[in-house]
Amino acid sequence: MSSVLSIKNTGIRFGGLVALNDVNIEVPEWEIVGLIGPNGAGKTTLFNCIMGAYTPNSGTISYRGTDISLLPTHRRVAKGIGRTFQNIGLVRGLTVLENCMVAQHPRIGYGAAGALIGMPRTFAEERRLRNYAMEVLDFLDLTHLANSHLDGLPYGTLKLIEIGTVLATDPDLLLLDEPSSGMGPDEAHALGERLLKLRKTLNLTVLMIEHHVPLVVGVCDYVYVLNFGQVMTSGRPAEVQRHPEVIAAYLGGEVDESSSEEDADVPA
Amino acid sequence: MKTAIVVGITAALLGLILILGAGDDAGPNAAVVIGVMTGSIYGLVAVGLVLVYKGSRVFNFAQGEFGTVAAFIVFILVEQIDTNIPYWAAVPIGLLGAVGLGLLMERVVVRPLMNAPRITLLVATISFALFTIGMEIILFLPEAKVLRPMIAATDATGKPNGPNIFGYFVEPQNLIAFGVLILLAVVLGYFFSKTDLGLAVLATSQDAFATRVVGIGVERMSRFIWGLAALLGGIAGIIYVPISGTLTPGAMTTGVLIPAFAAAVLGGMTSLPGAFLGGIVIGCVQSLSNWAGFNYSLTIGGVVKPLSSIIPGLPDVAIILVLLFILLARPQGLLGSEA
Amino acid sequence: MTATATEVLETVRAEPTERWSPSVQGWVARLLVLGLIFGSVLWATANVPSYWADRISLAAIYAIIGLSLNIVLGYVGQVSLGHHGFVGIAAFVAAYYATQKAGCTVDTCSFNTFMTATVIAALSGAVAAMLLGLIALRIRGLYLALITLAYGFVAERSIFEIPFLTNGGAGMPATRPDGWATDREFAFLCFFFLAGVIFVDWRLLKSKVGRAILSIKHSEAVAATYGINVTAYKVLAFVLSGLFAGIAGSLFAFHETNVVSNNFNFANALLWVLMVVVGGLGNRIGVVIGSAFFALFPFLLLLIGPLEHFLRDTLHREPDYFTIVIGSGLAILTLIQYPGGIGEQVAPITRWLGGKPFSMHPEGHEKHKAPKKQRSGGLLAKVGLHKSQVSTENNTEELAALGRAVEGSKEDDSE
Repeated sequence: MSSVLSIKNTGIRFGGLVALNDVNIEVPEWEIVGLIGPNGAGKTTLFNCIMGAYTPNSGTISYRGTDISLLPTHRRVAKGIGRTFQNIGLVRGLTVLENCMVAQHPRIGYGAAGALIGMPRTFAEERRLRNYAMEVLDFLDLTHLANSHLDGLPYGTLKLIEIGTVLATDPDLLLLDEPSSGMGPDEAHALGERLLKLRKTLNLTVLMIEHHVPLVVGVCDYVYVLNFGQVMTSGRPAEVQRHPEVIAAYLGGEVDESSSEEDADVPA
Repeated sequence: MKTAIVVGITAALLGLILILGAGDDAGPNAAVVIGVMTGSIYGLVAVGLVLVYKGSRVFNFAQGEFGTVAAFIVFILVEQIDTNIPYWAAVPIGLLGAVGLGLLMERVVVRPLMNAPRITLLVATISFALFTIGMEIILFLPEAKVLRPMIAATDATGKPNGPNIFGYFVEPQNLIAFGVLILLAVVLGYFFSKTDLGLAVLATSQDAFATRVVGIGVERMSRFIWGLAALLGGIAGIIYVPISGTLTPGAMTTGVLIPAFAAAVLGGMTSLPGAFLGGIVIGCVQSLSNWAGFNYSLTIGGVVKPLSSIIPGLPDVAIILVLLFILLARPQGLLGSEA
Repeated sequence: MTATATEVLETVRAEPTERWSPSVQGWVARLLVLGLIFGSVLWATANVPSYWADRISLAAIYAIIGLSLNIVLGYVGQVSLGHHGFVGIAAFVAAYYATQKAGCTVDTCSFNTFMTATVIAALSGAVAAMLLGLIALRIRGLYLALITLAYGFVAERSIFEIPFLTNGGAGMPATRPDGWATDREFAFLCFFFLAGVIFVDWRLLKSKVGRAILSIKHSEAVAATYGINVTAYKVLAFVLSGLFAGIAGSLFAFHETNVVSNNFNFANALLWVLMVVVGGLGNRIGVVIGSAFFALFPFLLLLIGPLEHFLRDTLHREPDYFTIVIGSGLAILTLIQYPGGIGEQVAPITRWLGGKPFSMHPEGHEKHKAPKKQRSGGLLAKVGLHKSQVSTENNTEELAALGRAVEGSKEDDSE
């Protein structure tokens, strides 16, 4: 199976602090790969490098065989990479509907200049775009919130909007940053089920940062463990779960919200 | 230590220019002398800017008007009202007015916006500055008045009262400016490093929450900082307006504020000694480029034209170039600690 | 109580919301009111004394400047204290072109020349603003404000003193175009341009361009993840602002018929920032009203007869002097108490005129009523509906699949 995402020897430094060091990760097509590790291990930093928000000091990042290390973020997105954020990547100044429309930005069929002058094509495209965004909201059963602003909406709803909006851009590779944060064990389980179904129906490849161990074990085909900016170990979830260093890293590392659940889940 | 090195280098450079140009009437000596004098004013205003930045993390666009208001008060007492108040008595009253304005600004604008984005507070200081200028227009009319200096520039016979330094007749008011600058540099330097209150002010500027935890009243600190900044602004205004020759509404803001900003940025927005130094440097940049504009020429199309006519406003352009260079290449300035 | 993603997805089926539309009478009422407003402005311009019409032109020009500044201040979110630079450069360029290159004399200036001058002025403004935009890619916030200050300062002290531009200091003349030369006619000409600027600003916000710029203001990282070319759109915003400023500059030049550097100074730039703040950042109507208010204020004072006498005869002060105090006072009030400015205050009216029901609060701000919970048997029907509604869109298949997936997961969960 070919790799959709290939991260080789990637390292990045911020001043004197080494955030990532010689990271090698392969994400084969149609697999759900997990990225776990204690807080501060560099997982979100790695996502930022993949998306192009940060430029690594060393190494290459390739997407479907093409080196994307030098591409600006919006070009990488246009190639089919979608990403969610830990703190909800939605635009606060815009309504829910407008957020869905913004996500479609690369696919909009009119140019900026034409838009400003008011070419007829702009109006038609905008109508089509608005209808499509309403459909997305419809499937999420959120049409009643279409013209609402984001303040005051429940966290779970915002997460739902974000995921739905990203999926509606038809990505090939989906980077999920802690999708289960804020969820209890039952909800996380349901999320896992849904991810598996989506992978099948939408031909998705997923790289997922997660803390919730049952979710990782239940859903991921392969797991990389990051600690202090380096890949500590990798393998099938069950193996990684039993790896003594991984246990030590979590038990001895910083306390995070799900660590108590992990303690309960890690077999003696 | 770093401060001493930078000050030393600057003094050495200026001294070098003075020595090299000694004896040559068309030399840059007079320019350096003028530069140091006007630079003292810029430095005075810049110190107020840095003080406010350290305390409230905002650029105070009203800093100039503290000075204009003080000058107006002195003007009224000394020139307009028949009360025979001597100049030296009018000055403290003018300064009192400036401090009052600063405290008013703190109460009306700064305190309500203490937790607002800094840009909002910036626009608020601009609004207050314009409000003050507007009041000056209403109260004093948009005409030019003249405030005489504390010690007249020339005596009754027309002979200059001040010394001749390197070919330039330094007015007594200029000497006062420079002297006040040195005095304040020493006093403030001592205050901020050796006294409890001064150290507390610096602490507040580093971390408002921590200082509140320790027990220092952040609101009182804020009042003190703005009052002190207004005092410094007032001093600058009373000294500068007689030198500049005209007292109009907004005089300090149009004449001094922007070079003062350049001085503060050059010195480092977080460094008080840097503000003093930056003022001197900006003053010298301005006067030296003015001198260069008249002294150097380019031949364009067979016509010899002095630089000053090729580039209008050369001294001001030079100041801006320094400001841009610092902002783009070394945002923390000469002595500052953050970008 | 926060809903979880699962609960919202599985059990909730909202009643489909229809977009509320006014009745026929509703539309007629709105059109009447709109007509009344525009009609009175146009009638006033045509019938007031000439010196009033002259001031009304200035109000329109200020409105264009306000909209220009609003793009940087309201949409991009940065402070520009040097806008007098853009407007001034454009004004000088327009006047220079008209008088020195296109042969306008004191008596006559062709309309074509005026239009060309305006185009050139708009482009100059755009270029000048683009330079600032490039700098804004690297520097932000307070320090960028300082740079805009520096920009305006250089313009004021150096560029506006260049002899061939300023005609040696006497000022560069710009005769009003033939056919539009009287104060009243020129006012209508300014209205025409104001309408054009408002139109482009409207298209801006209603299209991907405005959404992109607003997304960038909120978070560049999120915007980039949506495929927005952050660099390009940031620069585009400044270019657009410069275009508007350039148009205003040209109109100003021909309005004054002689451009001197005194027209554009630091105090103006600050006042313009205040007028946008008072109008309401990001609010088009508010900014237009606020700018017009700043321009017309002294004249409005004059309307009140007794007040005029009091000011002139008792206080010996011109009404003009009070503009700055009132304007800055309003700005402080806006910043501290009413952040939405004039725009927010008139929002109920503008929303009503735009076809929404009259209400004091914007749509969507009532606390979200919990939708009724229903069995979701209708989801499959929804899938069928969508296939017929939408034209060609291969994502429909995927979304249908998503719907089936959601449906499928519900069947798997034990009930």
